[in-house]
Amino acid sequence: MPSFKLNGQDIPFEEGDTIMRAAWREGIEIPHYCWHPGLSIAANCRMCLVNITSGRPMAMPIMKFDAAKNAYVPDTKPKLMPACQVDAAADMEVDSVGPDVQLAQKSVQEFLLLNHPVDCPICDQAGECKLQDYYLEHQAELKRKRTEPVHKPKGVRFGPTIVYDAERCIMCTRCIRVCDELVGDPVLDMRERGNKAEIVLSPGRELDHRYTLMTEHVCPVGALTSRDFRFKARVWFLKSADGVCNGCATGCNTHVDFDQRYGKVYRLRPRDNLDVNKFWMCDDGMMTYKDVHEGRVVTALIGRGEDTDEVIPEDAFDEAARLLRTVDKTKVGVVLSAQHSTEDNQALARFAQLLGTTKLYLAAVDPARIGWVGDDILRDADPNPNRAGAIAAAGGDLDESTEDLIQDVLGGEVEAVIALGFASAETAEQLAPLTKLATVISLTSNEGALPSVASVVVPVASWAESFGTFRNAKGMDQNFSRAIPSPAGIEPAWRTIARLADELGLSLGYERVADVRAELAVSSPVAATV
Amino acid sequence: MEPLHELLEDDDVLEIPADMMRLNMGPSHPAMHGTIRMVLDLSGETVANVDVQPGYLHRGFEKSCERGTWNQVFPYADRLNYVSPMLNNVGFSLAVEKLLDIEVPERCQYYRVILGELSRICDHFTSNGAGAMELGAFTPFLWLLKVRDWIWDILEKETGARMTHSFGRIGGMAAPPTAHFEEDVRAILPEVRKVVAETEAMLLGNRIFLDRMQGTGKLSQERALALGVTGPVLRSTGVAYDVRKDHPYMVYDRFDFEVPVGTDGDNWDRFMVRMEEIRQSMRIIEQALEQMPKSGPVSIDDPRIMLPAKREVYTTIEATIAHFKLVMEGLKCPPGAVYSFTEGGNGELGFYIVSDGSGTPYRVRVRPPCWYNLQAVREMVIGDMIADIIPTFGSINMIGGECDR
Repeated sequence: MPSFKLNGQDIPFEEGDTIMRAAWREGIEIPHYCWHPGLSIAANCRMCLVNITSGRPMAMPIMKFDAAKNAYVPDTKPKLMPACQVDAAADMEVDSVGPDVQLAQKSVQEFLLLNHPVDCPICDQAGECKLQDYYLEHQAELKRKRTEPVHKPKGVRFGPTIVYDAERCIMCTRCIRVCDELVGDPVLDMRERGNKAEIVLSPGRELDHRYTLMTEHVCPVGALTSRDFRFKARVWFLKSADGVCNGCATGCNTHVDFDQRYGKVYRLRPRDNLDVNKFWMCDDGMMTYKDVHEGRVVTALIGRGEDTDEVIPEDAFDEAARLLRTVDKTKVGVVLSAQHSTEDNQALARFAQLLGTTKLYLAAVDPARIGWVGDDILRDADPNPNRAGAIAAAGGDLDESTEDLIQDVLGGEVEAVIALGFASAETAEQLAPLTKLATVISLTSNEGALPSVASVVVPVASWAESFGTFRNAKGMDQNFSRAIPSPAGIEPAWRTIARLADELGLSLGYERVADVRAELAVSSPVAATV
Repeated sequence: MEPLHELLEDDDVLEIPADMMRLNMGPSHPAMHGTIRMVLDLSGETVANVDVQPGYLHRGFEKSCERGTWNQVFPYADRLNYVSPMLNNVGFSLAVEKLLDIEVPERCQYYRVILGELSRICDHFTSNGAGAMELGAFTPFLWLLKVRDWIWDILEKETGARMTHSFGRIGGMAAPPTAHFEEDVRAILPEVRKVVAETEAMLLGNRIFLDRMQGTGKLSQERALALGVTGPVLRSTGVAYDVRKDHPYMVYDRFDFEVPVGTDGDNWDRFMVRMEEIRQSMRIIEQALEQMPKSGPVSIDDPRIMLPAKREVYTTIEATIAHFKLVMEGLKCPPGAVYSFTEGGNGELGFYIVSDGSGTPYRVRVRPPCWYNLQAVREMVIGDMIADIIPTFGSINMIGGECDR
């Protein structure tokens, strides 16, 4: 592989790489605002100017102030080039830290802050803002301008998800390029020039495509903010866990940002994975974190309708075990979930095996019913994150759905049900035949149709509260980590199932999540990596 | 216990038991400054052996420093030698500034010298005053603490706090000198001299005081050097080692002052060395007041290190960002390690600090002068009477906060 020298260090590059991209691959950051690895090159922020010292030097004539003579004297300075735009060439020598480059960075930074409002204390970006990072690194000088800054519109509603602040904007055009290049919906553009420039919507349009939050995600400053996250948390209080989106079968890699003081998830961010989601996520995926707290089942239930008792999880667990002892084990219908991790499904499938039943079903969300539409960018047609994993846990072949379950219940072939998860293609009304059975055990993290027809509801950990694996539509197994602890008494589904098996004298032998994984018939776990 | 006559042996000879008496002194004992425990083996009233046990005031100072930013170490530094907190503040500032390879403006250096020397005067007054008080001389103690209060009034006007100032900053001081600083300091110096003279008149001709101090708690020069003893305790043995003279820092090389030394290394010499050092400190202060620039910046002008002025923070984005980054992440020290040492109240106060380049200290190790001085106590008191422990331990001026950290 050919290489060039950046500040004396050898940087290998591929044909067509720019200096910036080659350095980025090596994990070296050349300061930049407008360049993004997933977008086209704009080269408008000028922060990445570097000095290419090899080849024919280009010198620009300038007038330089000479303090000794108290006058401007002719001088030259090297012509700097944007690292994001110049192709790397073999044996090129690039300087990105020299005094000329530093002066350029300092000047660019000073211009960017010239009219910037004093918003850090109320800005959601504070703490992860490039203007802040680069100010101390590259400018480190107090304001010289003493006049009133130029004022521009603030708090502009761009659509249902995004608010725009023109004063904070540095006109890097990343958001415009996201709409143009990622989504193919050129709804944003820039108008005016110089310090009057601002980002505007196309006339008559709103920013309402399916990837609006990516404009906020790429914004290097606080110009675009998410209406969902606005003023909810300060980012330096948030910790991050590696997650996998459970919005669809693509399995986009996420950062699950949570506040450990409150055990609360505040937002998701895309985690770069060039094999899966590159740098992006869709809006619906970004909002899946809400299920961690909304419609969460934290109370165990025994009984149906008016006879429902709220109990502690342990009591519901005991009731589930008691009911299972009374039924014909071969006639237990076991419902796996395409929304739960492979580990949970594996535990349940093994449990079914030990019970001696062969009646396995798969509960999955129906895209038509929730209005899910796939696309060619990221969104898979299947809104279930782990259909492939659940099928693999069942032994690689599972055609029966919850619809078949209803038929089998009506036909008398199934006399008891143990169901994982809240998702099903059917509504509660369609699942009504299940209410005729005395034993319908629901292991669920959230409210849904399946739990609503159950006679016993045992709450289990949600995806944010457990370690697990999703197998995406491409067949890649991606691990995710626990972000927050479960409410008291609530455990991951695989452990609840393992304990249930122990209670019935059927040992699964699962102590830790590693025990389940060791048994998983996974071909090759693909770690979620950048 | 049986009445003594019933213990008499057949031959009717009353014998004092030959066994050593084991006696615990401290950790809760008024003369065990701070909290320290001495396990004494007494032969009669003579100390045959002693086991000095520090550690009762261990608060995890060094570990705590690894949690906050570099500037957040200052409140901890205050609580090292809390009798002269300003000297610790200055010592720690100098260590981090050495790592950053920066030098504070000259005005600040003079300001630090003056505040530090005022602290040293407080330190020596407290040590000598308390030492005399423990020997029954209560009046000089009150006189000396009266002076300490005058000095604390000045420090309070300057820093806002009488004792734990937290006034040092990396790259300068929290605030510039007040307009009346020079006037205040000049006003008390003659008064301080008067009190020093009065105290000496009260004590130095006192037979009881002389007997208790002279020839007790002796430490030889060889042993002092071998044990790493510094400060007035070392100087009392005749070694003229003073960091201010031998390794001048800040502007100490510009002042004309003497390093007083003793000859015997006993309590008397330590007392006299401290008394003379108070006079020398006043000489330094007078010269520093003379030389100190009357105007100019106190803190260095670099938003990467010093917080910008509040006015700027509220009105300009640059200062807001600088403030935000310095408060949330802390100033960034380049990776590396330095050892920096100054003359503290009790001797060489050293900071060995390690930075990993983040905004938080990776390691802060303190060389507390008390620790080494305390090592010498065992040798100093063995062979003396039990009552001599009081002036000996007092003249060591062990400060628990610094010794145990």
